[in-house]
Amino acid sequence: MTLLVLAAVSVVLTLLGFFVSVPAFKRLTILGLSLGLLALFATWGRAEAFGPYQVDGVSRVFTLLALLGALWTVGLVRTRRFEFYLLVLYAATGMHLLASTKHLVLMLVALEALSLPLYALATWRRGTGLEAALKYFLLGALAAAFFLYGTALFYGATGSLLAGAPGEGPLYALAVGLLLVGLGFKVALAPFHFWTPDVYQGSPTPVVLFMATGVKAAAFAALLRVVAPASLEALTLLIALSVLLGNLAALGQKEAKRLLAYSSIAHAGYMALALYTGNAQALGFYLLTYVLATGLAFAVLSEISPDQVPLTSLKGLFHRDPLLGLSLFVAALSLLGLPPLAGFWGKYLVFTEAAQAGQWGLLVLALLTSAVSAYYYLGLALAVFQKGEAAAAPRPLARSVALLVALFLLLLGLFPGSLLPALAAG
Amino acid sequence: MVVLAILLPILFGALLLLGAPRALGVLGALASFLLNLGLFLAHRGGETFAFQAPLVPQAGVYWAFALDGLSALFFLTVGLTVLLGALVARVEGRFLGLALLMEGLLLGLFAARDLLVFYLFFEAALIPALLMLLFYGGEGRLRALYTFLLFTLAGSLPMLAAILAVKALGGSPTFLLPDLLAHPVRGQAAFWVFLGFALAFAIKTPLFPVHAWLPLFHRENHPAGLADALGTLYKVGVFAFFRYAIPLAPEGFAELQGLLLFLAALSAVYGAWVAFSAPDFKTLLAYAGVSHMGVAALGVFSGTPEGALGGLFLLAASGVYTGGLFLLAGKLHERLSTLEIGRYRGLAHSAPGIAALALFLFLAMVGLPGLAGFPGELLTLLGAYQVSPWLAGLAFLSVIASAAYALTAFQKTFWEEEGKKVADLKGEEWPFAALAVLALVTMGVFPGFFLHGLESLAEAFARILGGGA
Repeated sequence: MTLLVLAAVSVVLTLLGFFVSVPAFKRLTILGLSLGLLALFATWGRAEAFGPYQVDGVSRVFTLLALLGALWTVGLVRTRRFEFYLLVLYAATGMHLLASTKHLVLMLVALEALSLPLYALATWRRGTGLEAALKYFLLGALAAAFFLYGTALFYGATGSLLAGAPGEGPLYALAVGLLLVGLGFKVALAPFHFWTPDVYQGSPTPVVLFMATGVKAAAFAALLRVVAPASLEALTLLIALSVLLGNLAALGQKEAKRLLAYSSIAHAGYMALALYTGNAQALGFYLLTYVLATGLAFAVLSEISPDQVPLTSLKGLFHRDPLLGLSLFVAALSLLGLPPLAGFWGKYLVFTEAAQAGQWGLLVLALLTSAVSAYYYLGLALAVFQKGEAAAAPRPLARSVALLVALFLLLLGLFPGSLLPALAAG
Repeated sequence: MVVLAILLPILFGALLLLGAPRALGVLGALASFLLNLGLFLAHRGGETFAFQAPLVPQAGVYWAFALDGLSALFFLTVGLTVLLGALVARVEGRFLGLALLMEGLLLGLFAARDLLVFYLFFEAALIPALLMLLFYGGEGRLRALYTFLLFTLAGSLPMLAAILAVKALGGSPTFLLPDLLAHPVRGQAAFWVFLGFALAFAIKTPLFPVHAWLPLFHRENHPAGLADALGTLYKVGVFAFFRYAIPLAPEGFAELQGLLLFLAALSAVYGAWVAFSAPDFKTLLAYAGVSHMGVAALGVFSGTPEGALGGLFLLAASGVYTGGLFLLAGKLHERLSTLEIGRYRGLAHSAPGIAALALFLFLAMVGLPGLAGFPGELLTLLGAYQVSPWLAGLAFLSVIASAAYALTAFQKTFWEEEGKKVADLKGEEWPFAALAVLALVTMGVFPGFFLHGLESLAEAFARILGGGA
C-alpha cells in the first residue's frame, strides 16, 4: 500500500514536473509524501506481504522516520528546479523498500534506488558539491560491492537469499560480516565513515539532513534483519570504534556541519547497541529522537547559511533570533542526551539493551564517550548565547516549525511511555 | 498533594519565564512554602502522601513520589530558602522564574521513589542552574559553566551506568525504590555499582578533591545571591548517598567506607582552612559549604543512626543558614558594589540591623548551641566517633576553625574602625530577617520536631549496613 502510493506519486509527479511551477511542485511533493504517511498510518499494525516485499513493524517504524526526514528536507530546501523534490521522492521510495524486505537482492536494489538520487542531490551545489558527491558515490559503490559480495557468499553458505537464514561456519560468518560492512557504510559506522564529514560539509544542508536521517533509518532497518550471532564480535568492534572516533574527532571541529557529521558517526555507534537484542522499539525511539534533534539542528544551520557554518558564525544567534537560538540549544542538549529531553530516553533505551545483552565493557565505553561529547555539544549549544552577530535570514514558517519540534522534544522527554506502545505495535 | 507541591513552583516559574510580573513570583514562593509547611505538619500528624503513575512501564519506570520524614524536612527547607530569596534578592522576574523552576525540580528530586525518576530530576535541575549562570553570570561565566557541567556530567554518566546495573544485576522488575531495595546488588559487582554512584554524589556533595567546580560556580553567579542559595540546596550528594547509593549496594560501600570517611573529614578541614583566607564573601561561603558538607557526609558514612540523622539535619539546616548568608552577601553587594571582605569595614555603626542578622547567621553556621547548626554537628560527631575517633577528632577541628573564619570575617566587615555609611535593614528585608531568625532558632531549640519520622529511616539505614539498633 505504502509502496504503491509512493511509487505512484513519484511517477505522476515526474510527468507533472514539466507543466507545473516549482513552488506548486514543492507543495505537491509535500502532499505526496503526506499521502505516503497516510497510507502508512492506515495500515498501521497490519502485516502486508507481496512476494519478498513484506511490511511489518520494523518496516513501518523505520519508513515513518525516513518519510519524516524526507518531508523535512523538502520543506527546508530553497531551489528553482523541481528535480530536487523528485529525487527526494525517489529516494524515499527506495528507503521504504529497503526497510520492507528480507530478501537480500531486493535489499541491494533498494539500496541503489535510494543511493542514486542522493548522489545527484549531493552535487546540487557546484564546486565543493562535486567533490562531496564523488566521495559519496565512491563510498556508496564500495558499499554496494561489499553487500553484493556478501549476498553471494550468504547464498553459498545457507542456500537462501533471505536475511536471517540460519547458518554456520567461516563462510557464513564472512558473508554476514560483508553484509554488515555494506550497511555499515550507509549508517556511517566507523571505520567505514571516512569521507562522511567531507560529504556532510560539502553537500547542501537540506541534503545532509536527508542523509543523516532518512538514509540512516532505512539502513538500520536493514541492519536489524541482517545482523546474526556470527557477526556480533565484529559489531562490537565497529561500535567501539564508532563511539570513540566519532566523539573524539568531533571535539576539534570548528565547523557546525562537520561537527554534526562526526557526532552522527558516534550516534550510529550508540544506535547499534540495540542490535544485540534486535529490539526495534528501542532503536526506533532512538532514531526518532535523533531524526528530530539532528533535523532541528540542521534546519537552524540552514537558516544561517546554505553553505558552511563555522561555529563562530553562530554567536549571538539567541539575541538576534531567540526562537532559532533556543531551538538549536534544545537540539544540542537532546543530542547530548540530557534529561528531560527526548534524547535522554533514546540513549537510556539502547543502553538498557546493551546491559541486557551483557555488554558491560561497551556500555561503559559508550557512557564515557557520551561524557566526552558533552564538551562539543555544549560548545554548539552555548555559542548561540555568546556575544556576536549571527547572520540569520529568518522565515516565520521555519521558526514556528523549529519551535514546534523543540517543544515536541521536551514533551517526548516528559512522556516517553506514551509513544513506545505505538512503536511496538508498528 | 505531593505532585501538586512539585508542580506549583514549576507552574509559577513557567509563568514568570513567560513574562509575568515579579510580584507573582513572590506569591508563588509564598504559596509553595505554605503548602510545603502544610505537608510537613500533616506528615507529622501521621498522614502519608504517595503518588504513582506509569512513565515508561515497559522499562519499569514510574512517576513515583512519596513523602517521608526526610523528604518532608527537605520540602520545608527548600520552600523556606526559596521564599527568603524571593523576598530579598534584587533580580528580575525571569530570574525568579528560573529559581521557582529549580525549586520544583528539587522537590521532585527529594520526593522521588523511582531511581530513574530521581536521575531525571537530578539532571533536569542542572538546566535552570545553568541558565541562571549563563544569563546572569559574571565575565568568566563560560569557564565556570564548562567546569560545572563537565564535573557534573563526568559524575552523572557513571551514575547512569550504575542505575542500569542495579536493576540488571539485582534482578528487580522495576526501578521503584522498594523493589530495588528488595534486590540489592551483591558480590564484586556491588563495588563497581557503588563506585558509579559514589563518583556522582561525591561531586555533588562536594567532597575533596572533586569540589573544584564549586568556587568558580559561586564566584561567577549573579551577586544577588539567589542562584547561590539554590546552589546550596542543590548539594544533594549526602542525601543521595543516604537514600540510594549505600542501601542499594551495601557491600560496595563497606569496601570504600574507610576512604570515604577519610575524604569527608579531609573536606571538612580543608574547606574551613581555605575559607579562613578567602578574599570575598562568596568564596568564603563556598568553602564553608565544602567544610559543612564534609561534616554531614562524615555522619552518613559512619553508618550509625546518630551520624546519619545528624548529617541529614545538617544538610537541611545548612540550606537555610548558608543560603541566608549568600542572600545577605547579595544585600551588601547591592549597597557597596563589592563582595571583598577587606573593603567593607565597620558597617555595624551605620547598619546595626544587618550586623545583628549576619552575626546570627554566622553563629548558626558555626554551630552555636540553640541554633540550627548545633544539633546536626553534635549528632554527626557522636556518630563518627563510634566508628573512628581519630577522624571525628579531625573533623571537630573544622568546627573550631569555622568559628575562627566566621568571626574573623564578621569582625573585619562590621567592626574595627568606622567605615562607609550604609542603609540598614529596610522594607522587605525585615520579614526576611525575621523569618530566617525564627527558622534557625526553631531548628536549634526543637530539633526533635523536625526529625520526626527520620529516626526510623536512619535506623533502617544502619540495619542495612549490619549495625544500629
